[in-house]
Amino acid sequence: MRIETALPSPGTVQDKRDRLCQNLLLLGFLLLASAAFSLCLGSFPTSFMQVMRALAAPDSSDIAFIIWELRLPRITLAMLVGAALAIAGAILQSIVRNPLASPDVIGITSGAAFAAVLFLALLGTTLSIRWLPVAAMLGALLAALAVACLSWKNGISPARLVLVGIGLAAAMGAGTTLMIVLSDDAAAMTAYVWLTGSLYAAQWKDVQGMLPWLLVTVPVCLMFARHADAMALGDSVAEGLGVAILRSRLTLLACSVALAGAAVAFAGGLSFVGLIAPHLAARLVGRNLARLVPGSALVGALIVLYADLLGRVAFLPKDLPAGIFVAGIGAPFFVYLLHRTRYQQR
Amino acid sequence: MKSVSLSRFGMRILASALTLAGLLSSATSMAASSPDIDSTEMASSSVPTRIVTLYQGATDSAIALGLTPVGVVDAWLEKPMYRYLRDALSGVEHVGLETQPNLEKIAWLDPDLVIASDFRHARIAPLLTTIAPAVSAPTVFDFKSTLTMVANATGRESQANALLQQWDDRVTDFRQQIAVRLGSEWPQKAAVVRFKSDHVRIYNNGFAGSILDELGFEQPDTLQSQGWGMKLSSTENIPILDADVMFVLLEPDDPAIADNYRHWSTHPLWQQLSAVQHGRVYEVDPVSWMMGGGILAANAMLDDLFVHYGLAQSETPHQRVCHPYTAGIAEPLSC
Repeated sequence: MRIETALPSPGTVQDKRDRLCQNLLLLGFLLLASAAFSLCLGSFPTSFMQVMRALAAPDSSDIAFIIWELRLPRITLAMLVGAALAIAGAILQSIVRNPLASPDVIGITSGAAFAAVLFLALLGTTLSIRWLPVAAMLGALLAALAVACLSWKNGISPARLVLVGIGLAAAMGAGTTLMIVLSDDAAAMTAYVWLTGSLYAAQWKDVQGMLPWLLVTVPVCLMFARHADAMALGDSVAEGLGVAILRSRLTLLACSVALAGAAVAFAGGLSFVGLIAPHLAARLVGRNLARLVPGSALVGALIVLYADLLGRVAFLPKDLPAGIFVAGIGAPFFVYLLHRTRYQQR
Repeated sequence: MKSVSLSRFGMRILASALTLAGLLSSATSMAASSPDIDSTEMASSSVPTRIVTLYQGATDSAIALGLTPVGVVDAWLEKPMYRYLRDALSGVEHVGLETQPNLEKIAWLDPDLVIASDFRHARIAPLLTTIAPAVSAPTVFDFKSTLTMVANATGRESQANALLQQWDDRVTDFRQQIAVRLGSEWPQKAAVVRFKSDHVRIYNNGFAGSILDELGFEQPDTLQSQGWGMKLSSTENIPILDADVMFVLLEPDDPAIADNYRHWSTHPLWQQLSAVQHGRVYEVDPVSWMMGGGILAANAMLDDLFVHYGLAQSETPHQRVCHPYTAGIAEPLSC
């Protein structure tokens, strides 16, 4: 906000800000409408009225079961996971000042993936697969901790963080491949599905497991949003503005890791959302983190929601992992937006 | 600000770590508290008639027991369904992939029994039990326990016992005949080798391995203590395949696999394999040797072995057991 008031004419800035807030609201409505739309589609198309009736008055009918226990938790989890990944990406891109940063790039997702595959290969037969999210979450946290420690040198410099992250991600990618090669067909198949990322069979308990992470981290992110905006101008400027750089950076990094780790734990290795959603959102609601965080969350939720919808209904009766479609949905919009902004700038 | 004292900083990290640990443990408890599919007890007292099978071996077993499921998962090969089961399953609904069956479709089929496996479906167990009474096998490879489980759940124990008895008779018959035929060369070490388009796998347990084991075959020396088996990506590894006899699983529908097989089998090292030099390399059907996973597939695999070793099938053929349940089918199944 402070950054924008530094721009030349206050009137246009106010207009612009109104327009950006309007976009945020529009995104919110779009998400709600999309969720309702998605709720009406499935193996057996149910009419909007049927869905609303089942929602309003759940009974013991098949439709009520399908809406309440199959579609609704899955759609909810899709939105939460998409939002978490997108926020994690937005924060990372902001604190490392690199538009290519995302949870996939700096090793968080790879840490979770490696832990998950390790779990499937070594413990898959002895321990229930319900422990997989816990393993994935631990992997994400350990990887992030390792990246932070390895790139520590009187604080954390963004460039080193990214480089160390990429190195660690590559190493763990190799470990993941090795574990898949060493495990038998059935475990390898499960691992592949997990690595693709899927919201299949999401249950209310998954939603309950995912939601607290967002409830804890999003307020913190918003609290630190102004600091991050100042840091975007460079460390010395931010320091001059009174920002405790190390503290802000580490807090935001921790939030990002927690969000990405939780998302990966519940939905597997959905990649690309964390990279693309913040860029899409920035073009709609601006780069100001206070708006970019909710904006990215909405865009990420939309992307994963539609990716999962495609996986659910496009190839019936097959139910395919959402991860297959994330890039397919996100990339065209991404390219279009990049193209349009280039055209406008000319 | 670089002046933040490290101890204050450490406190903060500790505090956030504790919060995370709290969240983590909530996730943990959630993972622990979900119910298991009851693998022994049947909720409904009447005999189920609307059955959905969620893995290949269960589908095979249901048909062997004379049941026609109302829903099955897609086959791994010969999609959508293995040819040997197609006639028996004509018109039966598919509920998607074995790894990710379409729950909504299953619910709409309104089953009174769902047959799942712990290995593939532990995660969806709570939802499955809400849809219908469910039974679940620990693995997908053990055709005998699958058959027994399906039979117990559907009140067809006597049919299952007859099928298993007849299987045991065939196994005994095979063991006696092959011991006579091969004399001092028995028992043979058998390699089960599967060609994929970019690599080769050698298996030591699983469906084919356990049956070969039951029949008295031994494992190749290279395979002992190698877990499930090995993935080989270079022709340098051909000596690992060395055994007295080699069963090669090919997929006729995939030309890339035939190419890879040609590439490996023309390699000089391949020519030095003992099975190759003695002309004991048999190309077999991966559906009956691996993917089918049920008693019908097992019998088809045993048929192959009788043929390859030129042994006489006794005149109490297993077809007699299969026929009544596949009544109305023009061509007898290869069961």
